[in-house]
Amino acid sequence: MGEKITVKKHSKKLSPVVIAVYVILVILAVIYIAPLLWMLSVSLKDNAELMAAPFAFPKAMQLANYAEAWTLGKLGKALLNSALVCGVTLFISMFFGAMAAFAIGRMRWKFAEGMHTFFLIGMMVPVHCILIPLFVRFAKLGMTNSRIGLMLPYITFSLPMTIFLLTGFFKSMPGELFEAAAIDGCGIYRCFFRIALPLCRTGFFVSGLMTFINNWNELLLAMVFISDSEKKTLPVTLTYFVGPYATNYVQMFAAIIIAIAPTVMVYCLFSNQIVEGLTTGAVKG
Amino acid sequence: MDKILRNKKAIFIFIAPAFLMFVVILVIPIFQMVYYSFCDYAALTPPKFTGLANYKKLLFKDATFRIALKNSIFFMIFSAISQQVVGLMLAVFLTNIPRGRNVFKNIYYLPCVLSSAALGLLWAFMFNPKIGLNQFLAKFGIKGPMWLMESKGFIVLPMWVIAFVALWQYVGQNMMLYMAQITGISRDVYEAAYIDGASKVKAFRYITMPLVKPMIVTSLSLNCIGSLKFFDLVYNMTQGGPNHRTEVLATQLYAEGFDYFKYGYASAISVILLILCLVVTLLVKKVIKVETYEA
Amino acid sequence: MSKKKWISAALTMTMAMGMLSGAAVTVHADDAEEITWMFWDDLEATEDLITKGYKEIIDRYNTEYEGKYHVTPITTNLEEYDGKLNALIAAGQTPDCYICNPGPNMDVYVNAGAAADLTDILTNQEADWYATFTDGIFERMTYDGKIMAIPTNFAAACVYYNTEIFEEAGVEVPTTYDELLAVCQKIKDAGYTPISCSAGTAWCLSMVAGYLCDRQGVDLNAIASHEANWTDEACVAAGEKLKELSQYFQETAAGDSNDQATANLYNGEAAMLIQGSWAIAQINGSNPEFESKCGVFQFPGIEGANDPNRMIVKTDNLLMSSTTEHQDAVIALMKMFTDETAQKYTAEVGGKFPIIKDIEIDYEAAPAQLKYVQDIMANATGTFGFYNESLASVEAGDCFDNAMVDVFLGNQTPEEAFQTVQTFYEDNVWE
Repeated sequence: MGEKITVKKHSKKLSPVVIAVYVILVILAVIYIAPLLWMLSVSLKDNAELMAAPFAFPKAMQLANYAEAWTLGKLGKALLNSALVCGVTLFISMFFGAMAAFAIGRMRWKFAEGMHTFFLIGMMVPVHCILIPLFVRFAKLGMTNSRIGLMLPYITFSLPMTIFLLTGFFKSMPGELFEAAAIDGCGIYRCFFRIALPLCRTGFFVSGLMTFINNWNELLLAMVFISDSEKKTLPVTLTYFVGPYATNYVQMFAAIIIAIAPTVMVYCLFSNQIVEGLTTGAVKG
Repeated sequence: MDKILRNKKAIFIFIAPAFLMFVVILVIPIFQMVYYSFCDYAALTPPKFTGLANYKKLLFKDATFRIALKNSIFFMIFSAISQQVVGLMLAVFLTNIPRGRNVFKNIYYLPCVLSSAALGLLWAFMFNPKIGLNQFLAKFGIKGPMWLMESKGFIVLPMWVIAFVALWQYVGQNMMLYMAQITGISRDVYEAAYIDGASKVKAFRYITMPLVKPMIVTSLSLNCIGSLKFFDLVYNMTQGGPNHRTEVLATQLYAEGFDYFKYGYASAISVILLILCLVVTLLVKKVIKVETYEA
Repeated sequence: MSKKKWISAALTMTMAMGMLSGAAVTVHADDAEEITWMFWDDLEATEDLITKGYKEIIDRYNTEYEGKYHVTPITTNLEEYDGKLNALIAAGQTPDCYICNPGPNMDVYVNAGAAADLTDILTNQEADWYATFTDGIFERMTYDGKIMAIPTNFAAACVYYNTEIFEEAGVEVPTTYDELLAVCQKIKDAGYTPISCSAGTAWCLSMVAGYLCDRQGVDLNAIASHEANWTDEACVAAGEKLKELSQYFQETAAGDSNDQATANLYNGEAAMLIQGSWAIAQINGSNPEFESKCGVFQFPGIEGANDPNRMIVKTDNLLMSSTTEHQDAVIALMKMFTDETAQKYTAEVGGKFPIIKDIEIDYEAAPAQLKYVQDIMANATGTFGFYNESLASVEAGDCFDNAMVDVFLGNQTPEEAFQTVQTFYEDNVWE
């Protein structure tokens, strides 16, 4: 107890150094927040206003920008597509990943270590490397314009991180749990579904979060693989606001705001858990 | 117990789906890519084997490739160093302030979870001479440069701009890694040091630094591979222009493959990108080994 | 491993795939002949008036032929268009009808056999339709005597200027390059930006360079067959003139996009803008008051060099898939793109030119500038394409664009820049 109090006293003195640190931190915070606020203010102007006074407050709130961006950019559809693609990817990659991780981390066989390395190498392969062969293959199969064509590589590229994290979690589970279950007559599948999966909730949260955020923001594959505007994901839709002969800037900014709003809202609500979760993921990665 | 954990059938069933996906979507395409890289392959004509022609052209004749390689390596080195230094600095600051740690932490981390496509568009307009930053600077009588068009020097200004935006976006990741490590260090260690009369600076030098050292390697390897793969911000801010001066490997690959449909040539770039990634990872792995011996 | 295990593994995979594919199935329950039409702008989200006109045509087609034909547009944005089209062709799913730029782009699809030969249809089966087209319009769509595409409109590049600024500076419309320089200097002295241009959007700058090259007498055909070189005097002279002219561009020309360059004109900051006629709609749409003070003149000639009455023009073209099973439906669609209603819209609203003869354009309804451009076109002695769309390949076009941007930025001298293009041709084209 006594120690704790000294710690508090120690840090309560606002020395000049601490004040300087605060000044730096506040300046940085402004650099982080200001561009986002600027984007918000631009999205509420009209184009003429933007050209004339980009940094002034919007004169009249042009909420119509949002309505137009929403309908013209088909953002509702894009949001659904993104949610569908990322949701299915999340589910399947978690499931496949957990199975593989369980076999690698918990079960006893000769090639477990080798298999682990095999999946880990996947983390080093940039997605660009398979872009062309996969595109050619999918084009021949008529899959370049389907959401499945997008999900397959997403799942594959989410697997290494998932397997890596979950293997760690499965390895760290106490062996007695499984032994007790085995004595009770549990088969391997029951062990997996009834014991290992429920105990791995943190692992799922962490790797699921990483998977979801990565795929939600993914641009390159989505751009190359999907051509039907009905199937576009959010990041791709944003690039559509830059037109061939004319760009409607204010609408584009409104669209960007709409696109990042869900992420920002979820982030504000659960920022602590998200930040902790992602960090756990990266620390173990 | 042992028996059920050695159940071959179960192992097979558990591994098979992930393994199959990996082979079909990742391994086979990689071999295909290597094959294409030896071919003259335009989108609508079948691949024709031409041996090392693509590589010869890429390595000896293609000025754009040299720029892209230079920029990618610059970007990797810059990110590696700046993200480590700034990330560690922020972590040390944040762990040493009495209040507001969470608020600052969450603010700095925010861009990490946002789409870099969206942020790229935002920054492209921020650096647009008519709309963004320069208009702001003009209010103070400062004439800003052409942030995204200036093209003199070994590493051109737009490349620096992009590198700083990337730093802005991703430094939160490193900051968090270090914070996790520093807050993991027992308070007692610091208390003991303070009682022995150590200053904060000394505590940092002799306690914090050695203990976060292993983390440097982890985040370094994350940074390096991440920056070699870098695409979104460049694509949305400059598209590799002016005159390819901000091209990186990923954007050149995209342009050759999907603007000019030179699949074979683009595959050769992929091969080189893949080799680079593997080399960098191995290098970092080597460093990890050295580190563990030291510790 | 027993067979059974393989099967169980395969089943797991199949089931997962099956689950996924449920989400992607679309059903067409219609008796009408279904065709697809591929286009490079979103029909709904667009600001572009030509695209809006195309949307009307598509709607009109689907109403008029209801129960008989039905067309579904496939849209992408401009940048991804060719990538997506290539993918569809490679997959054997070539859209029944698709739009294409003239030049190297069209060469690719024609050479790959993805386009149907329209000669017989046009000259025999539909001779009446063929007769409506403007003479000579098929020139850039003809390969070895075969007509491979039909145009839907064309645009011409001119100089748009602010008549008030010209008056204030006391200058007249220049007809030669030297006069243009003098005019620029006077406008600069009067406190305005003489020329608004965008190097941020490379093709805008390249268009000016293209005019200068042509005026200097650069012959692209001779270059294509290597009877002339990019390092010839005419090219370098054009590069030097570009450099000279660029001192009169607005300060932010290097970074401005083409929208911003156009805005400079209609906001009254800049006196001249060199653009395609599609800019008319954008200018009048953004600042309706500007229409009355906007004049148009043709790009000045260079004394003692080439014919000064040649114009840069560009057509939009429709190709029919060589594998389509619905030829009649496609022809009906193509006809609708070139009928009087569509062509009137093109001119009166869209700001581009009709490609059919004998059409009454109501110039009262059309933007004032369109009439001026029309008058200039009437005196034109020849046309040529955008330089970046007239070279050996798309990449060659980009190479030219980039070289011109470098000249403008001062990173390369005109000699060095054209040497880059020359080297590209030596390595890739003239082999």
